[in-house]
Amino acid sequence: MIRVTLLLLLSSIGVNVSAQTHFTVSGTIRDKKTGEILIGASVSLLEIPRSGIASNAYGFYSISAPPGKYTLLVSFSGYEPDSIPVRLDQNIGLPVDLATAGGALTEVVVSAQKKNENVTRALMGVQKLTTREIRNVPVLFGEKDVLKTIQLLPGIQFAGDGNSGFYVRGGGLDQNLILLDEATVYNPSHLLGFFSTFNSDAIKDITVYKGGMPAEYGGRLSSVVDIKMNDGNNKEYHFGGGIGLISTRLNAEGPIVKDRGSFSISGRRTYADVFLKISPDSSVNQNSVYFYDLNIKANYRFDENNRVYLSGYFGRDNLSFANTFGIDYGNATGTARWNHVFNSRLFSNTSLIYSKYSYKIKINSANNDIGFTSNIRDVNLKEDLQYFVDAGNKIDFGFSVIHHAMAPGIISASPGSSFNPLTLQNKYSLENALYISHEWSPSDRWHLNYGLRASYFLVLGPGKFYTYDSSGNTKDSTQYNSGSIVTTYTNPEPRASLSFQINQTSSLKISYNRNSQVLHLLSNSTSSNPTDLWIPSSNNVKPEIADQESIGYFRNLRDDRYEFSVEAYYKSMQNQIDYRNGAELIANENVESQLLFGKGRAYGLELFLKKKAGKFTGWISYTLSRTELKIDGINRNNWYPAKQDRTHDVSLVGIYQASPKWTLSATWVYYTGSAVTFPNGKYQVGGMTAFYYTERNAYRMPAYHRMDVAATLQGKKKKKFESSWTFSVYNLYGRENAYSIIFQNDPDDPSKTQAVQYALFRFVPSVTYNFKF
Amino acid sequence: MKRPTLLLLAICALAIAACKKVIQVDLNSVAPQIVIEGEVTNGPAPYFVRISKTVDFSASNDYPPVTDAVVLLTDTTNGISDSMVEASPGLYKSIEVGGVPHHTYRLDVTIEGKQYTALSTMPERVKLDSVTFAQNIGFDNKLEINAVAGFQDPPGIADYYQLSETVNSRLIPDIFVLEDRLSDGRYIRYPLYNDSAYFAPGDTLRLTMNCIDRNIYNYFFQLMNVAGNNNFQSATPTNPATNIKGGALGYFSAHTTEKVDIIVY
Repeated sequence: MIRVTLLLLLSSIGVNVSAQTHFTVSGTIRDKKTGEILIGASVSLLEIPRSGIASNAYGFYSISAPPGKYTLLVSFSGYEPDSIPVRLDQNIGLPVDLATAGGALTEVVVSAQKKNENVTRALMGVQKLTTREIRNVPVLFGEKDVLKTIQLLPGIQFAGDGNSGFYVRGGGLDQNLILLDEATVYNPSHLLGFFSTFNSDAIKDITVYKGGMPAEYGGRLSSVVDIKMNDGNNKEYHFGGGIGLISTRLNAEGPIVKDRGSFSISGRRTYADVFLKISPDSSVNQNSVYFYDLNIKANYRFDENNRVYLSGYFGRDNLSFANTFGIDYGNATGTARWNHVFNSRLFSNTSLIYSKYSYKIKINSANNDIGFTSNIRDVNLKEDLQYFVDAGNKIDFGFSVIHHAMAPGIISASPGSSFNPLTLQNKYSLENALYISHEWSPSDRWHLNYGLRASYFLVLGPGKFYTYDSSGNTKDSTQYNSGSIVTTYTNPEPRASLSFQINQTSSLKISYNRNSQVLHLLSNSTSSNPTDLWIPSSNNVKPEIADQESIGYFRNLRDDRYEFSVEAYYKSMQNQIDYRNGAELIANENVESQLLFGKGRAYGLELFLKKKAGKFTGWISYTLSRTELKIDGINRNNWYPAKQDRTHDVSLVGIYQASPKWTLSATWVYYTGSAVTFPNGKYQVGGMTAFYYTERNAYRMPAYHRMDVAATLQGKKKKKFESSWTFSVYNLYGRENAYSIIFQNDPDDPSKTQAVQYALFRFVPSVTYNFKF
Repeated sequence: MKRPTLLLLAICALAIAACKKVIQVDLNSVAPQIVIEGEVTNGPAPYFVRISKTVDFSASNDYPPVTDAVVLLTDTTNGISDSMVEASPGLYKSIEVGGVPHHTYRLDVTIEGKQYTALSTMPERVKLDSVTFAQNIGFDNKLEINAVAGFQDPPGIADYYQLSETVNSRLIPDIFVLEDRLSDGRYIRYPLYNDSAYFAPGDTLRLTMNCIDRNIYNYFFQLMNVAGNNNFQSATPTNPATNIKGGALGYFSAHTTEKVDIIVY
């Protein structure tokens, strides 16, 4: 049925196209100085106001119009706009190189968007940041971090100190699809969450979709975080780096063949372990804690119509403790892409993507030498096509096939160890999707983006598949052979957004989208761990489904210098997962028997005010929200607040260009403490104090708030050499934010119990030196 | 797997001192609940059942005993039944019932007309073979001594163990339970890492090992997961699933037990 609908949709558009003769102007938009392609630059024909489009992820644009004389307007913030006269009496290839705008001031906070694009585009629930924008936002240990910075935006919530995970509009940590050059990154954190896996030196920009997701994306319920790596300068070589308290970064970029191809390499490594090694204390110098990562990207343009990109990421964390316990973990991704322009209206990108996440634990104690490894590996073939029909009329379509292979756990044990060697069976599945969407502006005021993503998931053999009764005991099992299909799930996911432009500076938007999710992250602890387990949907675990409706009002003020928006959303979720009491998720072949299922709902209001230009820039964001779950077998089957339920969430970001040399910045965050279960009573068992719990998540952690400040001093510019110092303080006023609250007997008075709060960071100062030549 | 997660945190805590302070939390009051704690062992009778009530978190650790309960202990395998007598307030004592492995025991308690029942089967005894000591580096980066219990797990049977330590006659309030799910048939050396107390060479350690049934393992495993000192990485706290039917907290366990007294070295 889906296929028929798609065909109908396509053919109806086809009819539309052939009705009139049009010619096309198309090409790629690049930075004049570096050759870096510009994503999301605005292109339009002056004479046809609704013809405006944004250059795609590969800098390509295409506009078709009836024959005539036009003026092509190209703009991208931070760059000098360009207007080019165009005579459309045939199809024209027109690459555009934009020059960066003069003066450092305009660069401070720039948005990679047309100045009022937030108002005019149909898409809503989208936030975009470039690495230039985050450059001055203070962060922990001065380590610039795109994932940390997006958590200062409305609807995207910080999961707490020591956690680089985040919640989007009430979704869980695993409901965010995090893509690095299209490859899924399964664990986006280093050092247990203190840093993200994304080295900002290597990152060009980041786009977060928290609602109204384009049909091109799928696989997670709450959000898509699309991160793109730098292509590298194709004119000349540059080197740069930074030295901070925690890590050193180095990067290099340059042409492979001038103007045709370039590369970019960025690496970083932490060196806390070096200090541990010099410690004379043997209990310290045997510990090791470090991570490193490497981003590599290269591209080569054969001609205006063919270009290939190769990008890769490799990162690893290594933590070990006095030779008794060690864990190393990390992601590896690789993406090969081929851009092909079939004709001036049809753009194609074909990607072959590889992604792997693995970890390895070693434990040596009391003759117990054991190792535990686990990994997840994806191979993905993806085809995306864009058909530029005519002015204000574009069709995106394509498909994606992902083969998932998961090895949930392999235990190796020495002969004298207390454990048996064990290999849990691998899990194989195929995640397919077909999509089409149509971006259409029927008039200057109406913009519409609608589409359908059809996802088709196959659970594959070989393996033994179990069924369980309501209390989680094994009922039955069936053995499947290699390549046989165990079960399938089909989910049509309609998506639509509509915007009505009230006037030049304001618009009203509504959107609806359905998303489904076939991979689930299991973790029954309060914070995320590198060992949390990904499982695919199966005969027992159905795909999660979310339906989200949202409405928003967007307004730009004072000549687009201020941007204001208010968005409200309601999301209902099906097949949400929680755990049985005492769920055993480690090395458990029957891990699915430990799960409970139910539904969820999330709703909220997001306010956002941003000042985009001037000496002082920044934003205020406020989110009022609620997220609840109703799981069979938990809280007497009543609704209860989810862990990520936050009533209030406020972020303030201010950046002040005090002088050409000094930039000062500050952020302040405040949020309602997360929902937790505290005891109401206590009793005694086995000579110990035990606690009595009534309702799930009925209490709140104390409210979290924190201020961070930073100051950046630009060094003297020599010929080619640039440098800067960044000084920052994390948690300026030393707020002891609760990381954990535990209940225990009072050690000084055994007749009493007490609540003890643990907090992590107070005043973390840091200094970083950055250079570039 | 309790230790490694704590260790992960410890590594991070190396550089950054975590701040710890006692805070006031405003917790709701709750109607007192019945708590039943009953044991039958392979050791000599009598066996005891303790019945008490919960108190509010802010109250002192005095748990009101439940007196005048009707408590019946039955060996369902041989049919011997005891009407237990109240030896002291809230503490009920058996008379004739003996503890034998593989026998299933039933506890019936009536309190103010309300019935509570529980069943537990005493597993086969596994001999505690050895107790040795090892050194480990604790959470706070100090060198600590821990006991290591050694025993041969019988192959082909699901076994569940519970261990506890008394140092210089004081019970260490840490829960140690393990199952042989990943260790079936192995010679198990189980390190008992203490979160709540430390011992020094020369201390007298009494190590107790019980072989418990699956329900009791689940009960203590869940209790351990939410117990105070493990809370950094713990699951959302809930009341552990009890084997007592009728709405009481606590457990009823028929288990074998073995004690070893040893001087810490």
